[in-house]
Amino acid sequence: MPPTSTTQPDVARGGTTGPPEPVGPPPRRSSGRAWEWSLAALLLAPNLVLLIVFTYRPLLDNIRLSFTDWNISAPVANPVGFANYVEWFGREDTRTVLGNTLVFTVATVGISMGLGLGLAILLDQRLRGRNLVRSAVFAPFVISGAAVGVAFQFVFDPSFGLVRDLLARIGVEAPDFYQRSGWALFMVTFTYIWKNLGYTFVIYLAALQGRRADLDEAAEIDGASPWTHFRKVLLPQLRPTTFFLSITVLLSSVQVFDIINVMTRGGPVGDGTMTLVYQVYRETFVNQRAGYGATVATVMFLILLVVTVVQVRIMDKGQRS
Amino acid sequence: MNNVTRRGFLGLAGVAGAAGLSACAGTGTSATSNQGGDGNTLEFWSNHPGNSKPVEQELIAAFQKANPGITVKLVDAGKNYEEVAQKFNGALVGGTLPDLVVVSDVTWFNFALNKQLTPLDDLMTTAKVDPSDYVDALYGDYLFDGGHFALPYSRSTPLFYYNKEIWSKAGLEDRGPKTWDEFKEWSEALKAAAGNGKFAMELPDGSNYLDWHFQNMAWGYGGGYSQEWTPTFTAEGTVKAGQYLQDIAKAGVVKFNATPEADFSAGLAGCILQSTGSLGGIAKDAKFEVGTAFLPGEGNCPTGGAGLGIPANISDERKANALKLAEFITNAENTVTFTQATGYMPVRKSAVELPAEKEYLAKNPNAKTAIDQLPQTRSQDNARVLLPGGGARIGKGLDQVAQGQDVATVFAGLDKESQQVFDNQIKSKL
Repeated sequence: MPPTSTTQPDVARGGTTGPPEPVGPPPRRSSGRAWEWSLAALLLAPNLVLLIVFTYRPLLDNIRLSFTDWNISAPVANPVGFANYVEWFGREDTRTVLGNTLVFTVATVGISMGLGLGLAILLDQRLRGRNLVRSAVFAPFVISGAAVGVAFQFVFDPSFGLVRDLLARIGVEAPDFYQRSGWALFMVTFTYIWKNLGYTFVIYLAALQGRRADLDEAAEIDGASPWTHFRKVLLPQLRPTTFFLSITVLLSSVQVFDIINVMTRGGPVGDGTMTLVYQVYRETFVNQRAGYGATVATVMFLILLVVTVVQVRIMDKGQRS
Repeated sequence: MNNVTRRGFLGLAGVAGAAGLSACAGTGTSATSNQGGDGNTLEFWSNHPGNSKPVEQELIAAFQKANPGITVKLVDAGKNYEEVAQKFNGALVGGTLPDLVVVSDVTWFNFALNKQLTPLDDLMTTAKVDPSDYVDALYGDYLFDGGHFALPYSRSTPLFYYNKEIWSKAGLEDRGPKTWDEFKEWSEALKAAAGNGKFAMELPDGSNYLDWHFQNMAWGYGGGYSQEWTPTFTAEGTVKAGQYLQDIAKAGVVKFNATPEADFSAGLAGCILQSTGSLGGIAKDAKFEVGTAFLPGEGNCPTGGAGLGIPANISDERKANALKLAEFITNAENTVTFTQATGYMPVRKSAVELPAEKEYLAKNPNAKTAIDQLPQTRSQDNARVLLPGGGARIGKGLDQVAQGQDVATVFAGLDKESQQVFDNQIKSKL
């Protein structure tokens, strides 16, 4: 197929043999492109600068520190090569910390998204008092984690707690949530889900309210069952929202600190509720090994990077198919 | 090569941004330069131990009145000693240093070791401050490398609190046990007197300073956490104390709890070990007559609490004025004011001779127990207070022991870990 561009010199047709005409868009368009790029750069620059200064530079600095023996109070840090990494992968408590992080994250992401979706579907219906319930569900999300932690200390208190009282009414003895590792992990997981359920709920509710009404009508006309309607009509429309939530909820879950710090300080038995991010704190500020803490932070960063890349790939694949 | 789509680009940017956010922000390691600043405007960083903010403000107002031209800014530096230490560490990396900072029994040493606190001895000589009036055991806690790195401020010891009603019901004398073995002899009677669902004793768990209280048990059985820098968790006496703890836990005599003082005040426990700083709260909340006694054993009571330190890298003028403030806040009259408001112990020997203190102690015999116990106190073992993470490490081990793990094995692990920490983090700096 012959070239169709009008900007190419047509020598075969006896066109000019002098210097070739400038290749590319006409001057006016070129100036337009330059303007667009300048505008884009201008708009992006503030955020890029902030990201570089407050996110990427500290990130790189953190990676650098992970190869040192820095004591948090010391003015100098000595390089130790991969010693911190070798220690982390070889330590007995690493498996416990990873296990706690995995259980906490999977439970909080899965349950808060599932419950958030369920509540959003329920409160998307025309029900009396739904605005009040919507506000009630969302309210805990705006309370600080530390305050929620203090409140739930009373809920799970082994001597005076609400849970103990409720279970006693049905003749069941409450477990000691503060002394048994499994129950302590359950306690902080429950508390975190209670606090953050409002977030997934609101995002799903917004997505539901923006869905295509004609698809609902079509499904109704076709006589689709509620389950089929949910699976074939609602869920596909909610896929981008689900993807967005899976990343944001996962990132915030892995980084939970306030609730654990207030309720258990990583205990009982030292590491009963110790997650990766709490280990960063414990090593850096309690054990004063900021270099080792940076190592744990870097490992956490790499794990999240891999998980998030996998999530993006899965989402892309889903959209293409 | 695949084309980068807009969605792909945004996705990858999101991934990078999100992952970046997930990483801990390192702070850098530049040495703190000597900070100048206005020597007449002092910053006092405190966590207001024992809800002492009002009394701290009162003392500061009195100081400013006595020292015209010097202004003191009281800064909320955290809700506990650890948070104050974190804030101070942040300032060491690149922020503005305070003039005076609260440092606890477990946080001061790392700052001193890394030359971030000023040894006060020369400053005190210059300012003609006589250190001999400070209670020796409390002042001596801050001695390292020939210098003292803090002045005692909000100092406490554990105290044996008991419910006199349960004691009477159990047919016991109105006193605490002389030894832990004697307590064990009393335990069945106490359990019966306390009643169903209640406990003879409650102790804080390993995340809430059990390691502080267990120091007394370990010393009581002839053991301890360390001799100087050598860990002694595997010493016969320490293991025996650990076995004792496990035995009373297995027998249902003791319950471990994050806040035993709350249960005790509600009448759910016959006795507890708790800081003298909790005396005010317990006396206020308990609906029964509360008794206090020395910890079991003689000369086995660990000191605790916090002191006041001055950063190393501030100007001499600031240091001199900071010392003036520290000395004022902890002088005999003011330590009486502070301790009566909070429940901590007077840090000056002459304080107990003041009429105001004599009158207070006559009205509050439980507060007098804490002061009478002072001669029985000892500085804690290095493995808990001077080794980084010592308290958390020992607390974890004690939780394991309380939950039934083999004492000798757990303590052997503590021995090994403590030695490693000393070798890796301390040895080369001594």
